[in-house]
This record gives sequence, structure tokens and C-alpha cells, in this order.
Amino acid sequence: MGKKYFERLKKLEPKQIQSTIMAAFTVISISIMLIVGIVLYIRFFNFSRDETIQSTRKLMEQAGENMEDYLVSMRQISDAAYYNVIKESDFSNQEQDIQKRMNLLYEANKDNLRSIAIYNNYGSLMAAEPIASQKEDPDVTRQDWFVRAMDEMENMHFSTPHIQNLFDDGTFRYYWVISLSRVIDITEGGDSRLGVLLVDMDYSSISRMMNQINTSQNGQYYYLCDSTGEIIYHPRQIQISDGISGENSKVAAQYKEGVYDERFEGERRKVVVNTISYTGWKLVGVIPYSSFTHGMINIRYFIIIVMLLTAMMLVVINRIVSVRISTPILKLNNSVMDYEAGEKPEIYIGGPQEIRHLGYSIQRSYEKIEVLMKKIVLEQNERRRSELDALQSQINPHFLYNALESITWMIEGGRNDDATFMISQLAKLFRISLSKGRTVISVRDELQHAQSYMNMQKVRYKNSFSVEFDVDESLEQYCIVKLVLQPILENAINYGVGSMDDCGEIKVAGFLRDGNLILSVSDNGIGMSEEEVRLVLTDSNRIHKQGSGVGLVNVNNRIQLLFGKEYGLFVESEPDEGTTVSICIPAIPFTEKNRKILEQGYRFSREEMEEMIAVGDVEEDEKQ
Amino acid sequence: MKNSKKTFILIETVLAVMVLLFALLMLLEKNGQALEKVSVIVQDSDDGQWAAFKYGLRMAAADQNLEVAVISTGGILTAAEEEGLIESEINNGADAVIVQPSVDSDAEAMLVRIQNNIPVMLVGCTASCDAEKSTIPTTEPDHYAMGRTLAEELLDDYSGKLEGKSIGIVSETESSASAILRESGFRDRLEGTGAQISWKVADTFEEGSAVLENQPKTDFVIALDDSSLVAAGACSAANNLHGAVLYGIGNSTEAIYYLDTGIAECLVVPDDFNVGYQSLTEVAKSLRHLFHKMEGKTVSYTVIRRDELFTKENQEILFTMSQ
Repeated sequence: MGKKYFERLKKLEPKQIQSTIMAAFTVISISIMLIVGIVLYIRFFNFSRDETIQSTRKLMEQAGENMEDYLVSMRQISDAAYYNVIKESDFSNQEQDIQKRMNLLYEANKDNLRSIAIYNNYGSLMAAEPIASQKEDPDVTRQDWFVRAMDEMENMHFSTPHIQNLFDDGTFRYYWVISLSRVIDITEGGDSRLGVLLVDMDYSSISRMMNQINTSQNGQYYYLCDSTGEIIYHPRQIQISDGISGENSKVAAQYKEGVYDERFEGERRKVVVNTISYTGWKLVGVIPYSSFTHGMINIRYFIIIVMLLTAMMLVVINRIVSVRISTPILKLNNSVMDYEAGEKPEIYIGGPQEIRHLGYSIQRSYEKIEVLMKKIVLEQNERRRSELDALQSQINPHFLYNALESITWMIEGGRNDDATFMISQLAKLFRISLSKGRTVISVRDELQHAQSYMNMQKVRYKNSFSVEFDVDESLEQYCIVKLVLQPILENAINYGVGSMDDCGEIKVAGFLRDGNLILSVSDNGIGMSEEEVRLVLTDSNRIHKQGSGVGLVNVNNRIQLLFGKEYGLFVESEPDEGTTVSICIPAIPFTEKNRKILEQGYRFSREEMEEMIAVGDVEEDEKQ
Repeated sequence: MKNSKKTFILIETVLAVMVLLFALLMLLEKNGQALEKVSVIVQDSDDGQWAAFKYGLRMAAADQNLEVAVISTGGILTAAEEEGLIESEINNGADAVIVQPSVDSDAEAMLVRIQNNIPVMLVGCTASCDAEKSTIPTTEPDHYAMGRTLAEELLDDYSGKLEGKSIGIVSETESSASAILRESGFRDRLEGTGAQISWKVADTFEEGSAVLENQPKTDFVIALDDSSLVAAGACSAANNLHGAVLYGIGNSTEAIYYLDTGIAECLVVPDDFNVGYQSLTEVAKSLRHLFHKMEGKTVSYTVIRRDELFTKENQEILFTMSQ
């Protein structure tokens, strides 16, 4: 399975250099951009979250202080009612005064107060402000505020919000209050007895304070609960009691002041807790995690748009860069491909220095290949022509005609021995000429061939010249291209000694020099001028006036085709003094292996030939 | 090379389209801050019986982030007046309406017409007297069950011995679906108990409670709605109910007051907070979810006696009525 996907992925790999560069650049730049974008967003999100939490804490501190001030003022009212009104008065004879002073206290604080009432320990109403008729049977002693005050006499007690069930003011209204109750000493007729002072705070004051901070539209809210988690104020109070929604107030009530992380009803949220002093109430700020991102939708869109625009820009830049980098390479590649396809355009040279240099190199290489190819074709053609020429020389009809005519003439003249000699020489000549189709033969065979040829020519020219062979026997075991001496000898006869009367001399010498085998043909003929000497080896179009038609150029070419350009013929001539034509070839021992290697031509056997020359030199040294 | 160029153009086009899309979303987000507006049309909307209902609407509006407007109506509306008000609200940009239907017979047809244009939610009772034939979603308490419960409470108080006892029934109207169901629920439960329905009055009591005072003396007066209960309570407080014991269905602080002061013996209180809350929540869903089919809701009711008026649960009911 994995292999299959890997192969599919491999298929997706861009093939062109431009696509590769662009894909790589795009992937890298977009990855960097994404990472930077995400990191920036996270940083921004965290910053925004910290800011929200900080501002929530500040707001809660402020709200908490306001609430504490409010509660302190209620306690002060309670203290004032107790210490300034109740403690200093006797209910039996100062009821009017008490009522008046309570009225003053109430009037001064009525914005936040619902009522002030004094009950004795039996739950009978002693005084109340504002004056209203008490309900028929409110059963005060069983009401929570009364019970708590009596249970813990030393403290003031703040109740949770409840409906005031004490007075009937005839308005058909029910008031939602928070009761502050405390046990008091009531003096009545000089006797002291316990009672309860009740200050009912208007719940709307607290709900107004809380409503003022509950204005956020992003899901963030604040609520107030007592130390047991009983909700005092919650923006969704009825929904909670109806079970439509819930609140984690029981847990929040256990928290100390601070910021907490919690998960409630599947939602992650931050909870900021502030304790209201004396009451033990908790002011709780709830910040759902979703509210941190509320209002950030547009920021998200903005960041996405910026990232997309950056991506667009990067794609453009990447394309420009990749095109700039790859275009010279592609152009070079295209020109090379065109070249390979058989067309011959100029190799592209342009772009940066490296590509330019590469272009130049490729162009030079192709030019060299071109020249070499031409040269090889030329050499092959020359070799074929030379071989053809050599073949032609082997069966020169004119030479054969002359030889046969000489033999006929000898037989008719009764010179049977001479005729036999001639026939045997002719047979040797042809045997070596053929040499089983080989190009390279031993020096011995070449000399034999030359001797046979000269013997026949001497008969033809009636011994008008002499021939001397001065070649050491040790040289006969070296390799030589076949039929190279015969054309030289033919030239020596035709242009040198052929026209001389009995004094013509031709000398064939052989020796080794600097590892090379030198075979020279010297005559004392008419010689040549310097210009003629130069043309002998260069002008292949010279018309042969006489002979087999195989010129020295041909011989020279054949030697160089097999042994290399440094070998060949060397002509020395002085007019009226004679000519010496030297064959210079490497001294390579004649073996079947060497012969086969040499017959491939020097281009294909250069290294082996160099080895053979080296071996030849060693052998020569050993002999010496 | 050509492929590379094509890919480049394709990538740039896709990115450009995405940029435009997000820019559009951003603009829509900026412009989309106008809240949906829901208009609420109920009979005599300033009456105290709607306090809990309005509080429920307010809470739901805060939860659902909607703008809600309760249209001030002085008294009982006819179907034509109601249609005029709804049309006017639609022209003023209302996206949906919550309506307490008029008792007129053509109210259902009128509201069905309106429903073709904007979502309509009924509250209180169905527009058609035959509740089962009504096609418009309605959020209401189970009227039949409330009537039946009232009878149960009466029977409980007298240990089921109502033989020879006379009963007077008061309601605001006798043609509304709610009144019919409540009465039939009450009558059905009393059937066979020997109690006698002596009289039945249907009146809006805008002219006072004289119509009640003129009724013959009965042992019990049963008020089937808040207005009737308040009128009967006032009449009883003035000792003009000939000593009849008052039972009823009510949802105002006046009704609670009469129970608190012992004028009413027992009160069945429909959960009007939830009528407001649930109806608006359902409307909000229908406005925000294209394929949401608005459904009617049945809310609960509570039986309150004087001695348990100030329990924690009942204080919360009072709290919603006092807002």
C-alpha cells in the first residue's frame, strides 16, 4: 500500500527544472508563510485572551468594590438603626421618636432600601419603615432571615434574594429583596429583650450593578453567588432554574480569588472569581473560550486574505525566479535536443556565467566531434582508396604484360633458365602481393617482394642498373605495410635510373634508429628540385607518366593510416645526384597478434601500438 | 513550459478567487450586524398578565441575539386590527411575528396569509377554535389539562363531595380556543360529581365587575383566565361575590395577591415565561435555519396554594411576574 502511494507520489514529481524550482520555492515559501501566519495568529490570540482576562479582572474588581460599598452602606444603615435609634430608646415610651428616626434613616437611603423593620423575639413587629400594614400572618419566626439571626447572634446575616413576605402595601406588587438581619437588644419598659433588626435591601440595586457589567455580546457574563453556590444574581437566572441552561456555581463557590480553567457542559471557559468581603459572596466572571475569538472573525478573514495575497505574490516571484534560473538551462537543453534530433542549430550561449560556460563547452565539444567525424570519414575513404590503389598495383596489367612479354621473348630466344627464373620471380611477387589479403607483413616478405620485383625489372631494363639490398637479417622479423617498397623502387627506376646507361644504382638499406625501423631506397638518378620533393608527398593528383600509377603519396598515406602521422616517407633529393626515399615505421616485432592489431589502423590501436613499440624497444635493448 | 504556465495561471486564479471570497465574507460580516427583528402582538399588551411572558421574550432575545418589540395594544383586538398591526410591523422591518390570535373566526385565514410571507408563531392559544385543525405553530399551555386540574383541586379540597354545590364560571371570552378547552377540561372532570354549573359569564370586565355582582349566589366561582380571576378577586375583595370561594387560572401579581390574601383559594399558573422564551427561540431557529420547520410548544403550569406561595419554586414564578 505504502509503496503504491510512494509510486503515485513519484509520478507527481515535476519533470522540468522550472517546475521543480517553482514547486520547491512555493512549498518552502508557503510553509514559512503558514508557520509565520499561524504563529502570529496564536500570539495575537494569546495576547487578546490575556487582555480580555485582565480587563475582566479589573472590571470585576471595580464591580466588587461597588458591591462592597453598597453592602457596607447597608451595614452602616443597620448599625445606625441599632446604635443610634434602637439602643438609645425605650419602645414603651419613645415609639414615636423611634419611628421618626427610622423614617429619617429610611428616607436618606430609600433608593437602595425596601424596608427597615424591628421584630421582637416572638416575631411581633415593633416598628417598621415605610409604614405599611403587616400581612395577616407572615410567620416571621420561621422566615430564613429571622432563623439565621437567632442562630448566630453575634453576626449580621445577608440572605439570598427572596420575595418580601411581610407587608401589604395594597399595590398588588411583590418585592424581591436581600435581607440583612441581626439580633438586637430591645429596651421596653426598662427591660431588655432580644429582637431582630431587618434591613431589606432592594434586589434591583444589586441586579442593576450586575446588569451594568453584563453588557457583553460575546458570551462573556458575570454572576453572583453565595458561599454555598446559591445564585444571587445571574443573567440567565430563570433559564437555570427551569433547566434550560446550567451554571457551575457550586464549584465556583469553592474557588478562591483568581483565574481558573474549567470545562462545563462541554464548553471550555475561563472563570475569574472575586470574593465580596464579609458576605462570602463570590462575584464570578465567565469567559467562554469561544468569546476570545468572538469579533476576531474579521481578523481571521483579514489574516487569510493577507496570506492569500502574499501567496499570490510569492507564486509570481517564484515563477520569475524559476523562469530566470531555468530559461537559460532550458534553452541550452532545447538546443542540445535539437542538435541530437539531427537539426544543427547554434548551441544556446546565454544566461549566467556558468550556463554560458557550459554552452561554450558543449559547442566546442560538438565542433570537435564534428571535425573528428569528418576526419574519420575522410581517413576511411582514403584508406579504402589507398587499398584499392594498392590492389590495383598488385595486378597492374601493364607490368604483367611486360613481364610476360619478357618471358615469351626469353623462351623464344632459348633462354629457358632465364624464363624459369622470371616465372619463379613473378610467382613470388604475386604470392606476397596477395599475402592472404593481409595489409601488414614481415619485413622479410616485403624485401622478398622488392627483390622479385627488381629482378624482373632488371631483366626488362637489361641490367642497365644495379640493385643492392643492405638490410640486416634481424630487421626481417619486424612488421611493415605490404607493397611499400615496390612503388618506391618503381619510382626510382622510372624517374631515377631507368634512363641511365649501365651506371644506375639503386640501394635498399635497412636499419633501426630511435626505436624506428628505417628502410631507405637510394638511387643515383637525376634527382629532384626542392619543389618537386615537396610535391612528391603532398600532391596526390600528380599524373604518373610511367609505372603502376601508385604514387608515393599513396604509400605515405598507407603507412600513416596504420602507424600514425609521425611515421611515413621522407624524401631527400639533390638534382643530378640522386634521391633517397626512406620509410620510417615503428619497430614492431612481427607476430600474428601484432599484425591483427596494426591492421585496425592507428586510431583504433594507438594504445596497443604504443605498448608494442615499448616491447620492441625492450627486446632491441636486450639484443644489443 | 506550457503546462507550467497553465499551472501558474490556474494557481493565481484560484488564489484570486479565494481572496475575493474572503473579502466578500469580511464585508458580509461587517454588514451583517443588523439583528433580526421580531414583533410581538398580544391583546392588551400592557396588562400585568404579560409580565412573565415579556420577561421570557427579553431573556430569549438576549440568548438568541434578536431584537424584539412588543407592540402596545390598548385592549382586545379584532382580526382586522391585528392584520393591520402585523402589516405595519412587516413594513417596519419585522422578520417574524409572534401573535396572540384574535377570537374572530377569520383570524386563522388572515394569519395563514401572513405566514406565507414571514414566520408566524401564535402564543396563548390557536387561532382556530378547533385546535387540531390549526396549521400555525402555537406555544401555549395545555388548556384542557389546566381546566381539568382546576376541577381536581376543587374536588381535592372537598374530598370529592361536591354534590349539590353550585358553580359559576367566568371567562374573558367564550369563543377562544383556550377558553373552550379550559372549560371543557373543567366540566369533563366535574362530570358525575353532582356539582351544578349555575351560570357562566364571558366578559372583558372593562366596565367593571358589575356583571359578576349581578349573578346569583354560588358556592364556587371558577375564573378561567387572568382577567376574569382579577375581576372576580376584586369583586370578592369588595364582598360582592356573595361568599363564593374563588378558584382560577391566573398569571399576574394581582392574581397572586388575591391568593396571598386568601381571596382566591387556589391558583393554576401557566408558565408564561416559557411561552415567551420558547416561542421566540423557535422563531429565531426558523429565521436562522432555512430548512427549520417551526413547531408549536406546550409549556407547563403550576398549581399554587396560599400556604406554599413563598416556596423557592413559586418565588421564581413570582419573580418572573414582577419583572
